[in-house]
Amino acid sequence: MSPTLEITDLKVHFPGRGGAPVRAVDGVSLSIAPGETLGLVGESGCGKSTVSNATVGLLAPTAGSVRVLGTELAGADAKTLRDIRAHAQMVFQDPVTSLNPRMTIGAAVGEPLLVRGIARGAALKARVGELLEEVGLRAENATRYPHQFSGGQRQRIVIARALALRPALLVCDEPVSALDVSVRAQILNLLVALQTRYGMSTLFVSHDLAVVRHVCDRVAVMYLGRIAEIGPRDALYAAPRHPYTRALLAAVPEPDPAIQRAKPRVPLAGEIPSPANPPSGCRFHTRCPLAVEICRQEAPELRMVGESAVACHLA
Amino acid sequence: MSEAALTVENLTLSIGGARVVDGIGFAVAPGEVMAIVGESGCGKSLTAQAMMRLLPSAIRLDAGTVRLGADDITALPERAMQAIRGRRISMIFQEPQAALDPLSTIGSQIAEALRAPLSRVRADVRRMLEDVGISDPDRRIDQHPFELSGGMCQRVMIATALISRPGVLIADEPTTALDVTIQAQILDLLRRLATERQTAVVLITHDMGVVADIADRLAVMYAGRIAETGPTEAIFASPRHPYTALLLASIPRLTDVPKSELAVIEGRVPTPNEYGPGCRFANRCPRADARCVTETPPLRPIGEGRSTACFHAEAMA
Repeated sequence: MSPTLEITDLKVHFPGRGGAPVRAVDGVSLSIAPGETLGLVGESGCGKSTVSNATVGLLAPTAGSVRVLGTELAGADAKTLRDIRAHAQMVFQDPVTSLNPRMTIGAAVGEPLLVRGIARGAALKARVGELLEEVGLRAENATRYPHQFSGGQRQRIVIARALALRPALLVCDEPVSALDVSVRAQILNLLVALQTRYGMSTLFVSHDLAVVRHVCDRVAVMYLGRIAEIGPRDALYAAPRHPYTRALLAAVPEPDPAIQRAKPRVPLAGEIPSPANPPSGCRFHTRCPLAVEICRQEAPELRMVGESAVACHLA
Repeated sequence: MSEAALTVENLTLSIGGARVVDGIGFAVAPGEVMAIVGESGCGKSLTAQAMMRLLPSAIRLDAGTVRLGADDITALPERAMQAIRGRRISMIFQEPQAALDPLSTIGSQIAEALRAPLSRVRADVRRMLEDVGISDPDRRIDQHPFELSGGMCQRVMIATALISRPGVLIADEPTTALDVTIQAQILDLLRRLATERQTAVVLITHDMGVVADIADRLAVMYAGRIAETGPTEAIFASPRHPYTALLLASIPRLTDVPKSELAVIEGRVPTPNEYGPGCRFANRCPRADARCVTETPPLRPIGEGRSTACFHAEAMA
């Protein structure tokens, strides 16, 4: 089956202060099969949100290709973009700013159906009711406003709106990061249940490695605009091949003192360099505990190591 | 009791008549890291502000005492409090960049905590920068906050907070705004400094991973009250309050079964004007019975230095 999303050598550069462009995404390739959930993890500034924005056409690629259901987004005209967005819907981090405070939640959830002429009147109302119930809210809530709901409920409303057009691809950018722990579990359970029920593909962007492991089938780890490692979930978490993946996993504080305190302490030294002036060779070499001469000079290509593709000379 | 660096007793705060913090008490020993955990609105940050005597004017202190060593600071005049803040009790915040003065060099901000011009205390400031792991301190000392990353700004805040060797440090979500690899560095730093300098640290957080990493003891707060408190290992191994148990079960872990259903806490936290006479968790609690709705379970000792505010604690053992 052809992939729902296929990104090939994507580059997104922004004009930087003093000439040098900020290379936020600098040569990323990945694809998502129908029904598959791909996790995109990394720290601030690694480019994960830029990839997700480019995937739904909110940012134009500087170079490379983004295909959703075979349709090219790079250089596409407004009509093509509008059409393809019906198949690729987005859920953002902050449900408060994602909803118009002056619009009832029924109007918000029904808007995609109305503007595309799919339903109106009584049919629209019935469909909105169904959507609200699918995400665990009551249909009669449709006449209420966002401020009458809690953060977790608002994220359910945002998800209902994203599902309204039955998209083939759902792009979730940190969908549970703004939520309290107990509410986070509810939204994660909902997302897993919806994946099973509708079989849509999902691009799941998060900085939280435990959350990504919980909901994803495959995982890509980004560092400074490039993919460091991409592979099946279990292989990547059980046997991480890239030193950065290993460092990230080691840094996750496990909510279990027995496990956490027995962990070897190998904190990653230093900070993330600027994407306007990335290090030569492998971008991770300035922080890598294993770096040797070749790492300073030559950028490693992704190559298959076991079940994963890894961009490391030493993997 | 005199060996505790910080003692809070029966702290009770209200806003417009609603009890937002209701009879909180705990003590922290020198060199100990005590975590206060809970979700939004549980009162953990208000508790921190009350300890610093920095409560917003709308919040009323109805009852309770805060003691530093043997000294009651609850009713000290603001002038006397100003002499104590930064010297005997300091605080660091979630957003280090927002907490630092953008117009002043980091060296002079740290010197300000010593109430001295940088020129006079430069050697001390430099040593402190080194101690919080800032590389190249001779150059950094004259830089401004915008020239530093978030992780480095948090190190500067810690340096500012600790240079006067206060007995108590309040850390309010100190790593929440940081990346996970930087968070690990800052947590290691806090743990080391607490031990080396024998500082009592109160760590306010929502993150059970952070608690598991560096806290010696913890207090779980729910709707303005302590649900459960005790040594970290004991509580994680066998929680004795249903809220703690559900909270721990709701977190995705690197060791669980992917896509399995996570435990959820049904319903929502009651707002202060919905508080009834009973346990505030009763409306969401799988173990609640008639007594839980009508009677407040007191925070009572259950052995091993642990206390819990649940009538059903023994049934959970």
